[in-house]
Amino acid sequence: MTATTSDVSIRPLDELDISDIVRIDEKILGAYRPEVWERRIGYYLRRDPETSVVAEADGRVVGFMLGEVRSGEFGLEEPTGWVEVLGVDPEARGRAVGRRMAEAILEHFRERGAKSVRTLVDGENEELCGFFNSLGFQPSSLRAFTRPI
Amino acid sequence: MSVRTTTLPKPYHDAVIRWRETFLPDYDLLMESWEKFFPTEPQFELCAYRQLGMCTEIECGDQKGKPKFTRAADMPAEPAQHLFGAIRAQASTEFGSIQQHRLTLARAQEEEEQFWILRMMAEELRHGYQMLHLLVEDDWSCVTQESRADLVEGILSMNTGSHILGAFNVDFDSFIDNVVFCGLIDRVGKYQLAMQKVSAYQPMAESMPQMLREEAFHLAAGVVPMRRWATAAAKGSTFITMVDLQKAINKWVPRALEMFGDERGGGTNVRFGLKPMKNAEAQKQYVEEIGKLVRDLNLRYLRARDEKLTHGESEAVLDRILAGESVGGIHREDLLHLPHVEYFRRRGMPAFKMVGVDGEVFTDLRAYQQHLVRTLPDAYRASRDFREYMDALTQVAEGTMKAEEAAGKMPSLRRVGGACPCSKAVRWMVDEPASSPA
Repeated sequence: MTATTSDVSIRPLDELDISDIVRIDEKILGAYRPEVWERRIGYYLRRDPETSVVAEADGRVVGFMLGEVRSGEFGLEEPTGWVEVLGVDPEARGRAVGRRMAEAILEHFRERGAKSVRTLVDGENEELCGFFNSLGFQPSSLRAFTRPI
Repeated sequence: MSVRTTTLPKPYHDAVIRWRETFLPDYDLLMESWEKFFPTEPQFELCAYRQLGMCTEIECGDQKGKPKFTRAADMPAEPAQHLFGAIRAQASTEFGSIQQHRLTLARAQEEEEQFWILRMMAEELRHGYQMLHLLVEDDWSCVTQESRADLVEGILSMNTGSHILGAFNVDFDSFIDNVVFCGLIDRVGKYQLAMQKVSAYQPMAESMPQMLREEAFHLAAGVVPMRRWATAAAKGSTFITMVDLQKAINKWVPRALEMFGDERGGGTNVRFGLKPMKNAEAQKQYVEEIGKLVRDLNLRYLRARDEKLTHGESEAVLDRILAGESVGGIHREDLLHLPHVEYFRRRGMPAFKMVGVDGEVFTDLRAYQQHLVRTLPDAYRASRDFREYMDALTQVAEGTMKAEEAAGKMPSLRRVGGACPCSKAVRWMVDEPASSPA
């Protein structure tokens, strides 16, 4: 079947999306983690349900992108949009689901006063790096540091 | 996006604070515990928010395309009267739900869930405050002779039993009610707020976006604990069983359906541009949505019962069980179901029909009463609300009262004579629906 982007619709996240997000996450990671998503989605709904979105196609949720606008962290005083979690149903890849969600979430960030958007990506994940590059994201001077404890 | 923040004039703001001290005594605990349960999240603030930059043209109805009204005095009399009633009803529900939640809040087994509900109560207080803001900021003399002070006092004087909508006159029996109420009744609130977002009265429309954002979490505060309880029940926990959940669903779904108004109505609001959907249309969408909720809970239950099931397998197993097959020792009656839309109704088209949870029609009053007793929570059966429903049902079934008359009597105003916490006055506002003083 030839899929087009017009098949995909984007809407704000809601609490009934938990099951679908658990399903997509399970397809991607192979782990069933409902408790993780129940708590995490509760958090994003409290913060601002419009800065997190899901994509629907053929009557089913096929992707999710969770984010928020924050300020005062990492030395960034200005309101900044953060894309924090995303997932696309492997069966729905190639339908620009991620791009459509990103466009929607960036629009909401702009409405909330954010002038820039940031995310953290594992540099070895070429697919994800390529996705963000295609959206115009560039490596930032803000560096991630880590150490075992 | 631009938001204007404002507070009520001091006497009214102080009245809400005094109301809060009476009906939300754990507010200070919430503030003290905020960092523990909601770290990095902005502190709660009691104020009214108005979103600016929204559509300024009427979005539905006879006046579609014309400028929205910014003052009630500019509206035709009938729409203004409808709008005024809607604002009062909305305010009543916001304050009313806090009065219900406070009774059983302390019975939560999990601290996290308790503080979710407590935060939700604080936000409902803000929603009530938002509606008072609409009443106080504009001049409503075109539809009422009551002063601003009387309007505020009238709303703050209401208590469980005297609220405008039936769902807010039913006492909670346990923390199950706190949670299921959020999942089912707050969901109706979401529909009402979403519909009012297009209101032809601009201040109403501008009040909705922030309320809707907050409402999204209120639904989660119901749905997430329900999912956890279904999981625990599947693993053998006897604290909150699937039967307990089912009975709570049976208790609240009928009241939720009635909150949409009579199934035959709503056209006037659409014609006036106050809402985009008629009652039956909105109610139908709601039923589909809670159907998804129940299905999700059942899937969660099945996967907790058999952790080897994949998502796809659990979907197939659920369909087989719902079709009547027993799979892995799980039967249809072990799962959750939506009660039939005509079950246990006291308003609207099915009011006082004797219809069971599965849509079965009863002709014998005694048999229907026993059916209700079996399918509703034990503690609720001992309530005054249930007794009054049973009395009315008996009169309707025996032909001594018409169903329309019985519907008009519920909820009955029974806690008459209370004092508004914002004044020393002792009086009650007795408005819609037509009620008979107890």
